[in-house]
Amino acid sequence: MLSSFRKQDKKDEESSTSGNPYKNLEKASVLQESRTFNETPVNARKCIQILTKIIYMINQGEQLGQTEATETFFAMTKLFQSKDMMLRRMIYLSIKEMSTVANDVIIVTSSLTRDMTGKEDSHRGPAIRALCKITDPSMMQSVERYMKQAIVDKLPSVASAALTSSVHLMRQGPEVVKRWVNEVQEAVNNDNIMVQYHALGLLYQIRRSDKHAIRKLIIKFSKAGLRSPYAYCFLIRIAANLINEEGEGTDSPMYDFIDSCLRHKNEMVIYEAASTIVSLKCVTPKELSSAVNVLQLFISSPKPVLRYAAVRTLNKVAIQYPAAVTACNVDLETLITDSNRSIATLAITTLLKTGNEAGVDRLMKQISSFLSEISDQFKTVVVDAIKSLCQKFPRKHTVLMTFLANMLREEGGYEYKKAIVNTIISIVEENPEAKEAGLAHLCEFIEDCEHTSLATRILHLLGREGPRTTTPAKYIRYIYNRVILENAPVRAAAVSALAKFGAASEELLPNILVLLHRTTLDQDDEVRDRATFYYQLLKHSDKALNSAYILNSMNVSLSALERLLHRYTMEPTTKPFDVRSVPIETVHVEQPKTDINIGVGLPRGGTESKTNREDTYGEQLAAIPEFAHLGPIFKSSLPVDLTESEVEYVVRCIKHVFSHYIVFQFDINNTLNDQLLERVSVQMDGSAEGFEVVHYTPCQVIKCNDTGSTYTLVKLPDDSSAVTGSLACTMKYTVKDCDPATGEPDDEEGYADEFVLEDVEVTVSDHVQKVLKTNWSASWEEIGAENELEDTYTLSIATLEECVKKIISYMGMQACERSDKVPDGKASHALYLAGVYRGGHDVLVRAKMALGGTTADVGAQAITMQLTIRSTDESAVQVIASAVE
Amino acid sequence: MFGFVQRILDWFKSLFWKEEMELTLVGLQNSGKTTFVNLIASGQYSEDMIPTVGFNMRKITKGNVTIKIWDIGGQPRFRGMWERYCRGVNAIVFMVDAADHEKLDAAKQEFCNLLEKPQLQGIPVLVLGNKRDLPNALEVQELIQRLDLSPIKDREICCYSISCKEKENIDITLQWLIQHSKSNSRS
Repeated sequence: MLSSFRKQDKKDEESSTSGNPYKNLEKASVLQESRTFNETPVNARKCIQILTKIIYMINQGEQLGQTEATETFFAMTKLFQSKDMMLRRMIYLSIKEMSTVANDVIIVTSSLTRDMTGKEDSHRGPAIRALCKITDPSMMQSVERYMKQAIVDKLPSVASAALTSSVHLMRQGPEVVKRWVNEVQEAVNNDNIMVQYHALGLLYQIRRSDKHAIRKLIIKFSKAGLRSPYAYCFLIRIAANLINEEGEGTDSPMYDFIDSCLRHKNEMVIYEAASTIVSLKCVTPKELSSAVNVLQLFISSPKPVLRYAAVRTLNKVAIQYPAAVTACNVDLETLITDSNRSIATLAITTLLKTGNEAGVDRLMKQISSFLSEISDQFKTVVVDAIKSLCQKFPRKHTVLMTFLANMLREEGGYEYKKAIVNTIISIVEENPEAKEAGLAHLCEFIEDCEHTSLATRILHLLGREGPRTTTPAKYIRYIYNRVILENAPVRAAAVSALAKFGAASEELLPNILVLLHRTTLDQDDEVRDRATFYYQLLKHSDKALNSAYILNSMNVSLSALERLLHRYTMEPTTKPFDVRSVPIETVHVEQPKTDINIGVGLPRGGTESKTNREDTYGEQLAAIPEFAHLGPIFKSSLPVDLTESEVEYVVRCIKHVFSHYIVFQFDINNTLNDQLLERVSVQMDGSAEGFEVVHYTPCQVIKCNDTGSTYTLVKLPDDSSAVTGSLACTMKYTVKDCDPATGEPDDEEGYADEFVLEDVEVTVSDHVQKVLKTNWSASWEEIGAENELEDTYTLSIATLEECVKKIISYMGMQACERSDKVPDGKASHALYLAGVYRGGHDVLVRAKMALGGTTADVGAQAITMQLTIRSTDESAVQVIASAVE
Repeated sequence: MFGFVQRILDWFKSLFWKEEMELTLVGLQNSGKTTFVNLIASGQYSEDMIPTVGFNMRKITKGNVTIKIWDIGGQPRFRGMWERYCRGVNAIVFMVDAADHEKLDAAKQEFCNLLEKPQLQGIPVLVLGNKRDLPNALEVQELIQRLDLSPIKDREICCYSISCKEKENIDITLQWLIQHSKSNSRS
């Protein structure tokens, strides 16, 4: 009781000393205060304060209800009677904040258009910005006149405000903004550099979809010459985007433009051009060297900003093209002792990437002399540099690993520690020689590790890698210490790691059993359950059990498992729950991050996350009654285009595979703005291969510029070993002409039409889900040779890498044990694949391949491959084997 | 007693300070509201106005009275918001296009809706039949009849026929308004 009082006191003290008058605002009382707005005469000072409170509250995340927001908004509009300058600008701000929550905000349109054309210059820009916030597509027409005037206004602040607001309006009504193109073009010739930059930005947005027009735009302005360096930088970015998107080479006029900017008089433009060139996909050593030369000049500049920018860019260049940066090494050496530690760090890490093996020791010494002075963020840069060094000079791993271990012992935040641990783990995985040393460092680290997530990760790694080392026994002490000393999640992870040692080594098994047995008295439920579970399993010392439950984990999607289990408990049944009905968790393939995209900041399409695609599609399909009985989706394919990208209707197909059916989902985008499609369906024919169409779910209406989905349900052939083939597709629909402006159909009738699409292929990989088996050989033994199929093939493929890639893509299976990476200079390789076949049957494939062999085509390179397939289901083996033929 | 002192005070004030009044101008679109405001503000008639999107706020000084006018747009999407701006004003001015016979019923409907609002009880209303210069414009009596104004007894109501173009009857309108400024309305 007493202590709680003290806490209260402390809190009060804190709030009074912090001095933020807006700290403890109550929404209700602030909104109550806004009634002051209705009083006359207006008390400007008081009203400004209330508006400040409201804006503060909204920005702190307070949610206003629609009614209260509208009430406050309308009260605020009364303040337009005051001539007070400060108050008026505060009103603009508040309008912008409340534009999305309050109703009928367009009520202030007329007042704002008056201000934006009025005599008070300082009101005009803000009024334009507020106006564009409240303008919805239906009101665009009424503000058009004012916007066109404002874009060509003499006053730079007004023109800039109008241009930037128009960029936002493009989202509301691109068609209306496109009509202002003449005014925008005039604004590009404005003398003010800011207006010119903003006008160019809007012009790009207007022309954006027309690549040809963009090209002409760049060529025109590169000749005419712009005053604004910002505009130049923007042009460079557009040009680079074009080059990258169109896959052009350095002979393109776009490249000539960027190259010419290297000789511009403004430093910003020169830097932008250089950093853009080094990040182009098509860049060759020749172009690279001219850009690097410019950066080299910047390195010796007296301005720290330029030095920093240049060395940071060179640092990134060095990842991909270390040879190109070597020319700067002498200049970089001088930066090692730069008083700005950020510059020094970047210089050293760049040198580490470009230098030779001999220089590593010296540089590492240099960097450790000031490591304590730099921030975590830059320490992470150092760690990344060490990571790439290890890949480059595997023999240096002792020096680097010791360095990392020292860093790990120093103080540092979670992100920094995580980076180090990640680096050590990746070294352990890549370099077999460094494995034992790395594991030893990690063992030491977890002896004193405050981050639970790092400790559990390391324990997991120890469980996986430890049993395969020469002396597995020495890790057990470290792991068991965790069971005694740490918190529950770490203890649970340690128990799992122990069990893996027991499953992998018969020698250690008795000791592990003793340790696990002791842990069965742990006070935490999860730890105790795990210990009991593993203890009972290990007692049988049965290889198949060990493989299924200890060495390899379940591969089902957890969210789907939860959903299905919930459904199972809702409907009482005597049938046991079938784990195989649960969709498989899709394997995450980590894309190597392209660090080199410096500079080009134009928006690019975000990559769709692949997580739980089946789950989201599953919910969509479950809403359609005809598909309710199909059960859970086994696999959904990535969308496939069935049309060229520039035709009237763009159609993409997604295949949803169920245990006995396939649902084809067609996403149809109607790109015409004067036609409406009704009752759209896609007729399919696959009778030749035994596919039978069961049901069509047509899409009732697809409006102009809109996308709709239609579904076709197809039953798989009865012969379970012949499940591939191609199906012809024809889109059938009723067309109605309509008015492009309103989207309303002109006539009631319409006419029927059809549109032939490309065929849809159903391949082996559609029936297989990738699954990562952490211990592939244990699973191989577990399945056994019951349904084994072995065959030898001769393939006319030139390299082992290519062969591996092709096999993986045809079968749609996951490579395990890092067998997808072929070591350099080897003449033979073994590929281990794992997957789950439709219906929940495990499939494993071993492909042993060797260079050599003869094909009919004399002289061509060939590969001999011995393929062994094992599965719990016979027909699965047949289907997988057919993928190679 | 208090009321008496207040009145004396107001009388003194009116000698030294300016009077202030607030009124709201509503009516269907294209009836001439913004034109009317411009006319009494500048004395000039200007044709060809763009429709008001939202509201305009104007302050006009006539003699020792400052008139604050809320000129609200007459398009259907703004009609629901009229009431918000009519609360607590000294007078409501309802503008009607006297020459547009087809829209009279709609105008009457909106007028009745507005007067029904409990928040606006007792506020004096001035109905202006604009565009009397046009040949088929209704006379005052016809307007009163068509809008059914005579049964309204719970508030002060008045109806004039005016022409912004010819500047007819603008003076009596202003006189009525000034009479209803703060102190005068209380007496």
